[in-house]
Amino acid sequence: MNSRNISYPSRLIEEFRASFLKDIRSYFRYPAWVIGEFLSTPLWFFFFALGVTLFVPVVSVAARGTASTGISYFFFGFIFIVLFSTSVWGVGQSVRNEQESGTLEQFFLAPANRATLILGRWARIFLTDSLIISYTTVLLYLIGGTAVAILNPTLFILSVGLYELSLIGFGLFMAGLTIRIKAYNSIGNAIFFGYMIFTGALFPITVLPQPVRYFSMLLPFTYLNDLMRHAALGTTMILPENLEYTVAILASVAMLIFGFVAFNKIEQDARVKGSIATS
Amino acid sequence: MQALTAIFCKGLKHHIRYPGEFAIFLMLPFLFTFLILGMGDAVGGNNAAAYFAARTGTTNIVIYEILGSAVWMTSWVVIEDVGTAIRDEQIKGTLEQNFLAPVHRFTLLVGLSLTDVVITSILFLVVVGVTVAVVLPSSFLTVIPAFLALLLGLIPLFGIGFLFAGFVVRFKEPYIFIQIVNLVFATLTGTYYPVTLLPYWVQALSGVLPQTYVIDAMRRIVIANQTLVNLYGSIFILLALALAYPILGYAVFRRIERKASVTGEFSKY
Repeated sequence: MNSRNISYPSRLIEEFRASFLKDIRSYFRYPAWVIGEFLSTPLWFFFFALGVTLFVPVVSVAARGTASTGISYFFFGFIFIVLFSTSVWGVGQSVRNEQESGTLEQFFLAPANRATLILGRWARIFLTDSLIISYTTVLLYLIGGTAVAILNPTLFILSVGLYELSLIGFGLFMAGLTIRIKAYNSIGNAIFFGYMIFTGALFPITVLPQPVRYFSMLLPFTYLNDLMRHAALGTTMILPENLEYTVAILASVAMLIFGFVAFNKIEQDARVKGSIATS
Repeated sequence: MQALTAIFCKGLKHHIRYPGEFAIFLMLPFLFTFLILGMGDAVGGNNAAAYFAARTGTTNIVIYEILGSAVWMTSWVVIEDVGTAIRDEQIKGTLEQNFLAPVHRFTLLVGLSLTDVVITSILFLVVVGVTVAVVLPSSFLTVIPAFLALLLGLIPLFGIGFLFAGFVVRFKEPYIFIQIVNLVFATLTGTYYPVTLLPYWVQALSGVLPQTYVIDAMRRIVIANQTLVNLYGSIFILLALALAYPILGYAVFRRIERKASVTGEFSKY
């Protein structure tokens, strides 16, 4: 097939497909990691869920309802964390992994769009994350009898879409960061834990002290988490409904654009300085 | 003795050279405790403390959770350090030199463990000492017997570390293996809840892990003001585990090591 005859969108799709398949192959080449990921991710959830059950009563019917709601609330927090880790440890670290393996130059010299190469990795991680979340949902039902229901599936799918757009943008920014900053693990950890505490992923931001809450309200992920949880569980929104939709849409689009721009800018700078392959 | 000191100093230098890793281990117990408190508050509302007390017998949630967190982190450090030490040497290409040196394998493993005694002691004293001093100052002196319980619990833990060091030589995938083991330990040993919350068959597994007794003993010492003498049952079990695990761990390590030296497994990665 002559690549000159292929239209730009077709080429992007082909690049994306190739990148996705490459990542699938790399992923399944290390079965211990696959098994480990599929075991450890739900284990994290059940471990913390057991800790949280100490704070809910277990005797009355009403209490059972509270416990079930609490676990569902927490379960969505677990989903947000799994998905967010995609952007920090998956997309963000992809460049670092290539750098350490000594294949980053080949990766960047390929006549392909950088972003589609990274998006291929995102797609693979999204697929495996979805599988992990699905089977943890089944396990939760089988072990604890808690059925995770989604009140408004349409809004939920839309909010997940917005969340994923922002994750791609954030992931691209993080991928750029790995080119510039080599101590990625420490920064990744700090961002990851910051996300868990400040964005209302695991508990509502009303639990936080007032000054910290203002900081939380400056973070786009706070609204995206809130919107998804509202769509799933019908929880009260932080902002008035229409305003929150607007904020969530603007935040996702802004993060996506920012991610692309930041990644390209950092890559160009690194090319000039010759720091792309320094590890 | 000279070799033991050298291995100990080498391990200590490694930790000093990467202070960021140690800082993370210091922060994690506070962070996880904060997450549990936040989630607990979210699901329990105004009655969260009362529900917690009904299950655990104490309203002192912070101390209860931070003790679990601290013990979990110490076991994390030990399993990660002792378990991956051999693998790290293998990747760096220095394992053969280490094994060719006229040093007994047991000395090598004990030297690695001694470094962790220092690291975990600092970790425990900072995390638990600071928390008890702030939240429950009247019980500050109970940190000393709690620390003694931790030291006793470290001995069987090192034995478990030896066991993993052997498995790592054999299976080569230490990081994911250790992540799962740390999580299983955290889940089984009652890090954030009493083990009685677990199904009976799981409680049987908890019973063979030293951290289960250490966490329980510490909570009784710091929160319920019991003494080590009162807890003789747990202490006796810890002593038995302190004897069993190092023997078992070293025997397994030696067996795998001997096999690896025949099959040439050491140089493979």
